[in-house]
Amino acid sequence: MAFASNPNDPLDRYSRQVRFPGMGEDGQRKLMASRVTLCGCGALGTVLANHLVRAGVGFVRVVDRDFIETHNLQRQILFDEDDVADNLPKAEAAARKLRKINSTVTIEPIVTDIDHTNIEALVSDVDLILDGTDNFETRYLINDAAVKLNKPWIFGGVIGSEGQTMTILPGKSPCMRCVIEDSPPPGMTPTCETAGVLGPAVAVVASFEAVEAIKILSGNFEKLNTKLIMFDVWDWSFRELKIAALKDKVDCPCCKGRKFEWLDGALGSHTTTLCGRNAVQIATRRHEPLNFPEMATRLAPLGEVRHNAFMLRFATEGHEFTVFPDGRAIIKGTNDIAKARTLYSQFVGS
Amino acid sequence: MPVVRIPTPLRPYSGGKDSVEASGSTVGEVLTSLTTALPDLKDRILDAGEVRRFVNIYVNNEDIRYLDDLATPVADRDEVSIIPAIAGG
Repeated sequence: MAFASNPNDPLDRYSRQVRFPGMGEDGQRKLMASRVTLCGCGALGTVLANHLVRAGVGFVRVVDRDFIETHNLQRQILFDEDDVADNLPKAEAAARKLRKINSTVTIEPIVTDIDHTNIEALVSDVDLILDGTDNFETRYLINDAAVKLNKPWIFGGVIGSEGQTMTILPGKSPCMRCVIEDSPPPGMTPTCETAGVLGPAVAVVASFEAVEAIKILSGNFEKLNTKLIMFDVWDWSFRELKIAALKDKVDCPCCKGRKFEWLDGALGSHTTTLCGRNAVQIATRRHEPLNFPEMATRLAPLGEVRHNAFMLRFATEGHEFTVFPDGRAIIKGTNDIAKARTLYSQFVGS
Repeated sequence: MPVVRIPTPLRPYSGGKDSVEASGSTVGEVLTSLTTALPDLKDRILDAGEVRRFVNIYVNNEDIRYLDDLATPVADRDEVSIIPAIAGG
C-alpha cells in the first residue's frame, strides 16, 4: 500500500492531498520546503493562512497591524470571542490558532504596519507574497517589491458579494500597475465598511488565491491563472478577463520602467502623530480633489457627516475624521498610527 | 446595439440597472452615448475624454488597451464592460 498510515512519515498527514494527481509526493515536499509572507491577516488573510498551513507550506510569516474586534468575527475565520476579550493583535492570535492546526509549520507573526521602509525586509526571504490587505496603497507596495525582487504574488480583493483575483509573475505576466494603472481616489469607491461584505465571498476569493499559491509552491506553474478573474456570488456571475497581452502593450512604470515609486516613498501616504491632540494626520499625494458629496452619501449611514468646499467631517465609533480636498485627513480619537491608517482605509478608502 | 455592463458601485448612477444599451460603432462612441443618456456616470468613467486610470474597459472580455483603446470597434450585441478595481479584503 502506497499510503499506509505511518505517524512517523511527515507526509502522512497530507495523504489526501498527496493523492491528488497535480500534487504527488514531489509537489508536497516542495510545498513543505517553501516560504511565504502573508500581508494582512483579516478576512482574506485568515482564510489564506488556514488553507496554506493545513496544506503544509513550511514557513508562513503573518504580517498585520490591527487588533481583533467583534465585527471581524463574521468573516475572519481564525478568530473567536476569546481573542477579542484578550485584546490580541490579529497576527499573534492567528499564529496561536495556526500552530494548533499544524505544529509542523513555522509561523512567524509580525505586528506592524507595512510601509515602504519595511516591506523589502518582510518579503526578501520568501518564495511567494500573498495579498490579504484591504487597500491599494499596500498592494502597490507589494507589487513594487515583488517586481524589484522578482517574487510572484497573488492579488485578491472583495467587496459585498463580488471578488477579483489575479496572479502576478514578474517578467512573465503583467504586473498590477499594468492592469490597474492607478488606485481610485479616496472616497470614490466602496469599502467593506461602507458597502458591507459577505463571508462566503471572502472565502471564495481567498480560496482561489490559495489554490494559485499551492500551484506556485509545488512547481505547477503551467496551471496558473493568466486572467483577471471576477465573480459575484450573489448574482452567480463569473468572468475571466484577458489581461496577458497588457504586458507588452502598456508602458508600465514599474515592470517596464523599473521605477518603484511606491517603494521609494514617492507615492503613498505619510502619517504623523499630532502630539497632545490624540490625533493622527494622514497625508496623501493625490492631484485630484476628492468628491465630498459622493463621500458624504457613502458615509451618511455610518455616522454623522457634514461638509463644505474645504473639508468633510465625519464622526463614527469614537473617532472624528476631518478630510481635506487633497485627501489629507486628521483622525481624532487615537495616537496610534497603525489604527489611524486602518480607519482611513476602512472609511475613506485607499 | 452594444450592451454596456455597469458594475455594482456605479449602479446608483444608472438607475440601478446592471446593463444598458448604448449606440456606437467604437468604444468611444458607445461611452459617449452612455454618458449622454446617464450624465452622472461621465466623471466616474472619463477624464478629459480619456478613460480614467483606475477604470478598465473591456469588449467581450478583452482589455481595450491592447486593442485600439477608445477606437476599438464594437459590433451589435457586443458587450462593453466597465471594470473598477475592488479594494476590500
